Amino acid sequence: MKERMGKFRSGLLIAFVLILAVAAGVIAFLLSDTSGTHVALGPEYTYDIKQYAEIDPALILYRQVGETIETDFENTHAIAVDAEGRIYVAGDERIAVYSADGNVIKQIELGAEPTCLAIDGNGGMIVGLSDTIEMLDAPGVETARWKAPMPNALLTSIATDKNNIFAADAVNKVIWRFDRKGNVIGKVGEKDEKRNIPGIVIPSPYFDITMAPDGLLRVVNPGRHLIEAYTVQGDREWFWGKASVGIEGFSGCCNPINFALLPDGGFVTCEKGLVRVKVYDADGHFVGVVAGPDQLGWVEPLRVCETPEQCSSKGFDVAADSDGRIYILDMVRKNVRIFEKE
Amino acid sequence: MTNENPDNQSRRKFLRDGFWVAVLSALAAAAAAVLAKGRKKKYVWQLDPAKCIACGNCATHCVLNESAVKCVHAYAMCGYCDLCTGYFVPEPKALDTAAENQLCPTGAIKRTFVEDPYFEYTIDERLCIGCGKCVKGCSAFGNGSLFLQVRHDRCLNCNECAIAVACPTQAFKRVDADNPYLLKGK
Repeated sequence: MKERMGKFRSGLLIAFVLILAVAAGVIAFLLSDTSGTHVALGPEYTYDIKQYAEIDPALILYRQVGETIETDFENTHAIAVDAEGRIYVAGDERIAVYSADGNVIKQIELGAEPTCLAIDGNGGMIVGLSDTIEMLDAPGVETARWKAPMPNALLTSIATDKNNIFAADAVNKVIWRFDRKGNVIGKVGEKDEKRNIPGIVIPSPYFDITMAPDGLLRVVNPGRHLIEAYTVQGDREWFWGKASVGIEGFSGCCNPINFALLPDGGFVTCEKGLVRVKVYDADGHFVGVVAGPDQLGWVEPLRVCETPEQCSSKGFDVAADSDGRIYILDMVRKNVRIFEKE
Repeated sequence: MTNENPDNQSRRKFLRDGFWVAVLSALAAAAAAVLAKGRKKKYVWQLDPAKCIACGNCATHCVLNESAVKCVHAYAMCGYCDLCTGYFVPEPKALDTAAENQLCPTGAIKRTFVEDPYFEYTIDERLCIGCGKCVKGCSAFGNGSLFLQVRHDRCLNCNECAIAVACPTQAFKRVDADNPYLLKGK
């Protein structure tokens, strides 16, 4: 009898130990986190700027018109709009021209990856191909081509008027001024203390320029969070902008990355990091928001590294037409959205 | 008088020579095997910066009391920004080294003036705990020049790395011990 009781007790003990082991295993499994979302670090160790990223809906002054134009590009670099409202998207060694409703009108093969694009006054196009400028007529036939003066140039934006072609070189932190035959006739934005020019600061390869109807070149100085105005001779006339994650400022190390001019002289700006496209008046006063993450189809308000793809993501480019419609190219999703003032 | 058959003598010689060839071959093979074993590749744990999302698990899951994972800096990729988002809190009161303006909770990043408006940022590894807060700040707005790596002067090279188990993006992998770092900007 005693022997049987002893066997029974030892069996009970083994069962108890087994149950304990299984329970411990289940608890350990449930507590283990492999999602990365429940990190044991306190808030002081985590990076959170969601509070700054939220946009007051009352500040959103635009609404999307039409369907989002999904392009078939693998890489997109620039968007432009001509006087007839045709949309030009550059990437994948070509330019695709879309109608406002998203139909492809034509494709122009380039033979190299475009880095920037501008519509010429005569209906043609001027394309930057890293260190080369290529002029195309309206059907897309090359009419001129020349290299930037520096071999390591990276042309990120092109602007033009009747006599000049300006090309922003992000590596050399200067805007090259060419005549229409490709001869260098000047430089804009280079640091020059005698002329009170502080110089362009470009921490990442975003350097955008646009020629305004008043004859002054508008230039983004992203590392200084400024938009500046220069004469074609390179004199710095005025500037505006301030660094802030607040909605009225330019966030992060180096913003805005791209901008466009509105018919009233105002500015549309795009930022990287925080997903927001905003409008400023001609004097640089904040007017409102064109689109935030909701309007641009981003679930998260930030482009902080939530996934490895986002870590290497690029930003937006923007264009505006003569009616004040705003065209936003999402270089990550490779789509175009058109916004109109409400 | 010996009257051995020359065929027998030749056969014996053949067997004797064959024996020694076999012995020497076996010795050479054994030596080669020992040498090959000595040269067998060693592998260590490393964090792939292309997959890392700086979730913070590196700081808390390492078996060491202070993680073997540290922030490192790819200077070739750095913009040397005045407003470095890996160094400053999102809305700093001023762009200076005051503690209230610094993002790093342990003050492990040193800011040094280079020339207007550029600053250099260096990591003090004695203070870095590998939380990745600066990495997120840098990659959100900047060039992603700050990133995390397993430092092999600290790593115990556990058979099963506790951080690798917890890593949500499978960023931990075994790499050749002769090239133990996966550096950005190379």
